[in-house]
Amino acid sequence: MAKKSNIYKPKINMRELKRQRVLIFWSILFVIYGFIFYYLPVGGWIMAFQNYKPRKGFLHSDFVGLAKFKFLFEDATFLRVIRNTLAMGVLNLVTTFIMAIVFAILLNEVKNVLFKKGVQTISYLPHFLSWIIVTAILHDALSSTGIVNEVLLKFGFIDKSIEFFSHKEYFWWIVAFANVWKETGWNTIVYLSAITAIDTTLYEAASVDGAGRWAKIWNITLPGIRPTIIVLLLMNIGNVLNAGFEVQYLLGNDVIKSVSDTIDIYVLKWGISQNDYSLGSAAGIFKSFVSIVLIVIANAIAKRTTDERLY
Amino acid sequence: MKIKRLVALLAAATLTAGMVSGCGSEKKEKTTEAGTTATANNADGEDSTGSNASAQGEYSDDEIVDFTAFFAVPGSEINDGNEIQEIIAKKTGVRVKETWLAGQTESEAVGTIIAGGEYPDFINASDSMSALYDAGALIAWDDYIDKYPNIKNYYGEDWEKFRREDGHIYWMNPFWHILNEDSTTTHNDEAFWIQVRVLEWANYPKIETMDEYFDLLRDYAKANPTMEDGTQIIPYTILCEDWRYFCLENAPEFLDGYPNDGSVIVDPKTETVIDYNTTPTAKKYFQKLNEEYKAGIVDPQSFTQTYDEYIAKLSTGAVLGMIDQWWDFAFTVNDVFKQQGLDEKGCNYVPLGLTIEKGMENQWHTEGGTLNNSSGIAITVDCKDVDKAFQFIDTLLSEEMQVLRFWGVEGVDYNVDENGVFYRTEEMRNKAADTTYKADHMCTYSYFPSYSHGTLSDGKNAVIPGDQTSEFYESLAEPVKKCFEAYGVKTYPQLIGSTDKHGIWFPMYSYSNNMTTETPGGMAWQKMGETKHEWLPQVVMADDFEAKWTEYMDAYSKCKPEDFIAEMQEELERRIEAYSK
Amino acid sequence: MSKRITERYGAPSKNKKSSTADKVFVVCNTIFMIIFVVVTLYPVLNTLAISFNDGTDAVRGGIHLLPRKFSTKNYYTVLHKQSLMTGAIVSVLRTVIGTFSALFFNALLSFIISRKRFLFKSQLSFFWIVTMYVNGGLIPTFILFKNLHLTSSFWVYVIPGMIGAFNILVMRTYMNGLPDSLEESAQLDGAGYMTIFIKIISPLCKPVYATVALFVAVGHWNAWFDAMLYNRMDKEYTTLQYELMKLLASVTNQSAGGGSTESFKSGGTVTPTSVRAAATIVTMAPIVCLYPFLQRYFVTGLTIGGVKE
Repeated sequence: MAKKSNIYKPKINMRELKRQRVLIFWSILFVIYGFIFYYLPVGGWIMAFQNYKPRKGFLHSDFVGLAKFKFLFEDATFLRVIRNTLAMGVLNLVTTFIMAIVFAILLNEVKNVLFKKGVQTISYLPHFLSWIIVTAILHDALSSTGIVNEVLLKFGFIDKSIEFFSHKEYFWWIVAFANVWKETGWNTIVYLSAITAIDTTLYEAASVDGAGRWAKIWNITLPGIRPTIIVLLLMNIGNVLNAGFEVQYLLGNDVIKSVSDTIDIYVLKWGISQNDYSLGSAAGIFKSFVSIVLIVIANAIAKRTTDERLY
Repeated sequence: MKIKRLVALLAAATLTAGMVSGCGSEKKEKTTEAGTTATANNADGEDSTGSNASAQGEYSDDEIVDFTAFFAVPGSEINDGNEIQEIIAKKTGVRVKETWLAGQTESEAVGTIIAGGEYPDFINASDSMSALYDAGALIAWDDYIDKYPNIKNYYGEDWEKFRREDGHIYWMNPFWHILNEDSTTTHNDEAFWIQVRVLEWANYPKIETMDEYFDLLRDYAKANPTMEDGTQIIPYTILCEDWRYFCLENAPEFLDGYPNDGSVIVDPKTETVIDYNTTPTAKKYFQKLNEEYKAGIVDPQSFTQTYDEYIAKLSTGAVLGMIDQWWDFAFTVNDVFKQQGLDEKGCNYVPLGLTIEKGMENQWHTEGGTLNNSSGIAITVDCKDVDKAFQFIDTLLSEEMQVLRFWGVEGVDYNVDENGVFYRTEEMRNKAADTTYKADHMCTYSYFPSYSHGTLSDGKNAVIPGDQTSEFYESLAEPVKKCFEAYGVKTYPQLIGSTDKHGIWFPMYSYSNNMTTETPGGMAWQKMGETKHEWLPQVVMADDFEAKWTEYMDAYSKCKPEDFIAEMQEELERRIEAYSK
Repeated sequence: MSKRITERYGAPSKNKKSSTADKVFVVCNTIFMIIFVVVTLYPVLNTLAISFNDGTDAVRGGIHLLPRKFSTKNYYTVLHKQSLMTGAIVSVLRTVIGTFSALFFNALLSFIISRKRFLFKSQLSFFWIVTMYVNGGLIPTFILFKNLHLTSSFWVYVIPGMIGAFNILVMRTYMNGLPDSLEESAQLDGAGYMTIFIKIISPLCKPVYATVALFVAVGHWNAWFDAMLYNRMDKEYTTLQYELMKLLASVTNQSAGGGSTESFKSGGTVTPTSVRAAATIVTMAPIVCLYPFLQRYFVTGLTIGGVKE
């Protein structure tokens, strides 16, 4: 890795402002853009405190204060879907994250360029399959006559087919597996591009020193992509409440809905299908709030323990 | 070098961008031009329309007005230049560009349209009509209905049922109106279905109760445990994915001999609303399912299967029976049966009108039209030409248009024999089922008002091909024909043998469909749904039925169903009061 | 001036005698890769098989790697969809224009926040990171776009999504990894920030640019929600994916609604599942073809220019 040279952030003063005027000029443009397209619509959050009706608009809908939030937090179902969302969010985060890094590193170790290219191209294909297709295949594979039960029976692990979708304990793992299956290859792309930034002379020097493969992975490759890993990890921590909607919606059923329903499904059932936009908005605010708190905490931890941080 | 390339690429991008914006604005101009020409023509054609068009019966190309329509249901777009659409345009002076719901829920779509404040000329928002009404987006029909006889006659006195709280009429439901004599051949509604081969095997017994039904399934499955190809028989399966769980939950209302009021039972004698979820019949029904589940008669995958898997399962011919509504399975499954030759082996399903006790009358089949006043087609305040829009709907309801929309063009889509009876050749039938042909040729304007069933005024022909006696009989598989003969009936409704006597309030679901969580009743309704979704599968699978049922009833009563029932009772009384005048 | 290192990717190349442990690793790794490929490839091949299978026949299930009853009717149905061409052209345009503009602006913004001397570095970063987690919701956004006259126009596809926090973070991380001395020496030569961005930093960022370009391009190519929401009634701005979405909705509607009971043995049949499979393959194909060109940047070497420490 390139050694850090000694550029430090200077204090704000006129000279520095003038020196950086190009950067500041563009920054202002970017802030204006961001304000218009990302921050302005957040004004719509006001509807979480209203009983929003499209015909009345934001200006004339009745104010209900915190009633929508109260409804959410007094509902035992909502607390249950938060638990499900968090559990699946964390499980997905850990599994997809580890798989992508491991796969990127192992792929990097493949010497045959053609084989490597081939594997990589194939690995990202599932990313393009819609969840409808993936869940249909998964449902098929895990059915009582599906391939998974067939294999388990053949090798004597079980003596009776398992109904994977009527047992609550399997569901979160099935969702995690589905995510890994679909996105590992695609997630690898960022790491592979980061690996290319590692100075090759480091590997050569290590080889001369007699370092083995593991030593090189451990001491060169992993540290080389560490910034990328940390940044993506921090970012995804903020995303744990976005554990998904489609997968759970498509894979879940009435028997296991107590573990499969997520916040988004809850909002769909209560908000959208009842035209209650305010409730949806309240849930959205809750999610944003939790995300930002998580990010701030994670960022602070990262700042203290490593050099990397999000902002 | 590299930088030059990047700059060149960026330049190219900007260039393309410029071109696109060029293209874009050009297109815009064209449309506006076309728009203005259309209106201009329309404006000066206005005074001549009456004499000119009706005298010749044809509009010229530049007299034709293009309307837009949005339907908040999934549907099939037809192609530009669709042949029948052009014929209709020439005759009515109107061409409608239909847009359907895709990839969004109905209320999202309607919500964004209302938020945007720009409406198409026609709109059918399905269950979100009240949102449009609330938004003041719709034109009141009151002054127009009397001017247009076909529209007036479609509902006649029943138009009163469409009045909203402000006393005006804003939409008409386009379906389920019957012209002249009812000629319905299929049982489009819910039933306990059974494969004809099972009935044939038992020599066509009379099946009236659930006990008889399940006994028959059990005996048949014992005698014939597998299909010819070795597939294991599934005696009974239950579909309960998402909203389709009606296949599990609403049977008690029918078993008690009531019609599909949906959501509640109405006792016609006392004119009170009854909750069918807690009746003794409901308990008996679920207890029966529980017993059969434990006995292995009910498919163990019932509660985990998706709709696709359910259809795939039925398509193998291995499922002997289930509860469902005809439209939910028959079209796909019957096609597969035909293709695989399973129809000749008696895999087709016929409906049974079961009741909880022997000898009760059933009302599984609803005769005549079901008037659902909660939704329909409306004309918006942005409509270019309101009179023309009503004129269009009125003309569409003429018999000529009905035939054109559903039968097609004479000599091309159907023939007429020497007695004046319509018929189709095999080739015509195939073409009518071909999607590409349909998109280019057929134009049913299906969400505009039409006659779903009935006969034309010649007294010989059905308003739609499927109801034509010859067409219907032609399409039946041999074992089904035999079954019909054995029971001495000619159609599915006759087989199920309902005695329909629904009240003037029917169907009550047109009210509960529009409930929102804003009222205590609506809130209870939503919670009851959630609770039933969660508990009913557990009840059926329970080892100890009594205990589970008690637990379920506890959870159920926490939803405050009494709030819901109270609101429904109020609506019932309102309807009786308003309609019985 | 610059030292080109090629073939650096497969790192430890001409090693002397590879140890037994090494050999075991190679074998295991290869086996792992093969298993991975098999497991990943299955859903794709399954989709391909279904896309070439007769629709009603596919309903019976049990199709794995090969079609059971071969039919091209699904592709016929997909490719005969009217407005598919309009959709394809709009999709290509938005992908090209959208990708280039997004690449430029994301790169520039990343460049700014990766300058270590930049005074408002963390404020600007925070400003953008927040955008990842807050969202005003459908209706406020819709009203905004309407007021900006972005609805019923092509530009609604390009302008609102031009900058994305995820892309910025990926690019920034990469740029942070580049030696600071590059900037210093250029500044000593009197180069301004824009010159440094375009001439010094960008050429070094090709792998990450390729990554982001791929992400953005795929996003554009697969987008349909915006087309439906903002250009619902404007046929000329429809996108490929939206047209396919509509096609699917209509096929679903036909089979579960007012379909017909007649058999049509002649031309083969279609069902939602089979059409969906064909549509998936149709949209996947262009990206699969495009990918090898971008992959070059991830797999082959990288030019390290300027000063080396």
